[in-house]
Amino acid sequence: MNIIEFKNITKKFGNLTANDNVTFSIKKNSVHCIVGENGAGKSTLMKILFGVYRQDEGIITIKGKEADFSSPLDAIDCRIGMLHQHFMLIEDFTVLENVILGSEITRNIKLDFDKSEKILNEYIEKYNLDLSLDKKISELSISEQQKVEILKLLYRNSDIIIFDEPTAVLSPIEVIEFFKIIYQFKIEGKTIILITHKLNEVKEISEYVSVLRRGKLVYETDAENLDIKILSKEIVGDVDVKNDSGNYEYEGEPGVLAELKNINLKKNKLNVLNNFDIKLKKGEIYGICGVEGNGQNEVIDILYGLNKNFTGDLNIHTKKISLVPDDRIKKGMIKEFSVGENIIIKKKNLKSVNSKSILKAANDVIIKYDVRLPEVNAPMESLSGGNQQKVIIAREVELDNDLLIFSHPTRGVDIAASSFIHSMILEQKKKGKAILLVSSDLDEILKLSDRFGVINKGCIVAEFEKNQFNLQDETEKTILLESIGKLMIGITGEQKN
Amino acid sequence: MVLLVIGKNPFEVFSLMFSDVFGSGYGLGQTLFKATPLIICGSGLAICFHASLFNIGAEGQLNAGSFVIGLVAYYLSGLPFFVAIPAALICGFIVSGLLGLVPAIIKVEKGVSEVITTIMMNFIILALINFFLIDFFAVKSTVHTEKISDAVMIPKFSDFMPMFQGSSLNFVFVFAILIAVAAYFFIYKTRFGYEIRAVGYNDTASKYIGIKINKIILSSFFIGAGLTSFVGMNFIMGYKGYYEFGFSNNLGFTAIAVALLAKNNPIGVIFSALLFGFLDYGGLTVNTIVPKEIMFVIQGIVILTILSVDKLVEKYYLK
Repeated sequence: MNIIEFKNITKKFGNLTANDNVTFSIKKNSVHCIVGENGAGKSTLMKILFGVYRQDEGIITIKGKEADFSSPLDAIDCRIGMLHQHFMLIEDFTVLENVILGSEITRNIKLDFDKSEKILNEYIEKYNLDLSLDKKISELSISEQQKVEILKLLYRNSDIIIFDEPTAVLSPIEVIEFFKIIYQFKIEGKTIILITHKLNEVKEISEYVSVLRRGKLVYETDAENLDIKILSKEIVGDVDVKNDSGNYEYEGEPGVLAELKNINLKKNKLNVLNNFDIKLKKGEIYGICGVEGNGQNEVIDILYGLNKNFTGDLNIHTKKISLVPDDRIKKGMIKEFSVGENIIIKKKNLKSVNSKSILKAANDVIIKYDVRLPEVNAPMESLSGGNQQKVIIAREVELDNDLLIFSHPTRGVDIAASSFIHSMILEQKKKGKAILLVSSDLDEILKLSDRFGVINKGCIVAEFEKNQFNLQDETEKTILLESIGKLMIGITGEQKN
Repeated sequence: MVLLVIGKNPFEVFSLMFSDVFGSGYGLGQTLFKATPLIICGSGLAICFHASLFNIGAEGQLNAGSFVIGLVAYYLSGLPFFVAIPAALICGFIVSGLLGLVPAIIKVEKGVSEVITTIMMNFIILALINFFLIDFFAVKSTVHTEKISDAVMIPKFSDFMPMFQGSSLNFVFVFAILIAVAAYFFIYKTRFGYEIRAVGYNDTASKYIGIKINKIILSSFFIGAGLTSFVGMNFIMGYKGYYEFGFSNNLGFTAIAVALLAKNNPIGVIFSALLFGFLDYGGLTVNTIVPKEIMFVIQGIVILTILSVDKLVEKYYLK
């Protein structure tokens, strides 16, 4: 039985057609993946379903009835829930307060916290969420915040749940936990719609797959007939994904550009960095992999000169440092500014800023890096995530600095843009830049780095050289991945039973 | 509606307002005269607001600056006007700016919201001015300073254009327009203005982009507060010839509404200040048939209406 039917959905933003005559249906109690590149129209389609946007043409039928939502409230009434790419949480509220916000249980005029707490604790136990309700959101890691969002959906009894790139912010182990939650949802009879870029996840979890490309529905299949190769071809279209193994080795003079030695840092009386050591060399990519919130951001802040309250030795032989931050909306850009304005804001030598210089800066980047946007002067927030990321990376790379820091450079970015970003990073290495790559995506670390360290609780717990991890043998590779995975969550070799 | 409730014919009232304001050079002149300080102060506040600094302290800042302008202009009366006027303005700017720096420093150092500190600064500054004025500088048994010499007075429009006969409109109005244009240029066309807006939109990103946020907060507060001092020019050099306690009549607060109505765009500030000037003077003209309080109500309603219409238009555009 089809629980949701999209019929000829079209949505335009100015000249940009985000959804072009999309027709397909979603079966009840299924896990349905929607895949496609950045800007393919996945998020737009889901936002229409959730009542955030209204389609220009076409009809959506939910549970046999035509849905005419004018706001997300209508969708929530229809028991549809959506987990957005960017969490909608109030940092200074506790988990409990965030979850019940908007549908509070009251006794007379007083909030009945006890009752809500009881209900929520039942959910936490049932889904194994491992959350404590009285913690503030600002104290939680990204994956915990995601769990809060999931708890919100449960609390509102949603039976159709839309996930917008949920695994983009999760480490491999957290992804497995997340999938367990999804299986539990399925057992309970809920319908799950999953937007994702990661094809191995599609293979693992989906029952049905729909592919969008440039706003159009181009391909549909079910789990039995799923072939990753066909799928990735359908996603990208005629352009083939560059899987280049070109020579990116730096041939100039080697040298250490930055060194951190015995760095210790306290935050709220807790040690966030413990005797942290790394060396960054010219023409080399140093990877840091780890579960988020183990001190990665603190290391970046220290290197970038934003945090000076640490103890230990910091030797940096350059002042020219570029940073692609982990959270592009919060740290990387002014979302109200246009592309050109966002680029020019970092060009310190440019004294006057006029529309001409802004336009030039924008056009240079748009052409060179194939940025897709509604129009040149559109604000950054109207670009899709991948295109925003391209702009930020282009800005940082074009500054021609000596040390480049990339934090989760391909988070929430599609395959084509990812491989483009990866080759950009490798090119910088060839030019002799020292590069620090921070990522929770192990594949990315293994693919790009020359050396990498595993970070856990503010300390590099193990370091690997290229010859140690560039393995051909599949079994050896699996063993290595497993041991790195264990290091990431803090299980060291000695504790093995 | 409100007028009907109190038993007056709204058409009569509004037509009287319009004919009084636009029908005579005097009425027009008075409207522009009333708009002048709002343009200046609104432009200064627009700069603060662009940095997301909610400066409620304009009332105090502009009074301090104006007080100083009045004093300096008086004591330098012997000098030629092209020295005395700039000197007075610079001193006023610096004093207002420095007083603006106090809440900015507290914010930067201790993270205290500028809203609270600027309100408190208003009380402090106004009380201090009162003290200095009464105890040292005021003409006996008045609350104003000594009159400045005619040489440093700004010419009135009516000196050149007879149609403005009797109106206090003076060339500070032109100066105010220039300030607004300069503020516009500063905010939208210079690198510094860019950084101010960036910080206002997203201070975390600005920090990571490499903007010195503290510098931006301090300087936009200094410049914004400093500009408010020029308000005194209109009253002192263009009108009475002395600083008088209470001349501003809550202008520093009205200017907040002026700036916000213009969405902090200084060019827009010119127009929203003109609207406020119109409502203000227009309200006076119908004073005989409508109580003043009712005119305040109508002013408020007009502004609320404009704001909501604006949102409606915006919404319509997005759809």
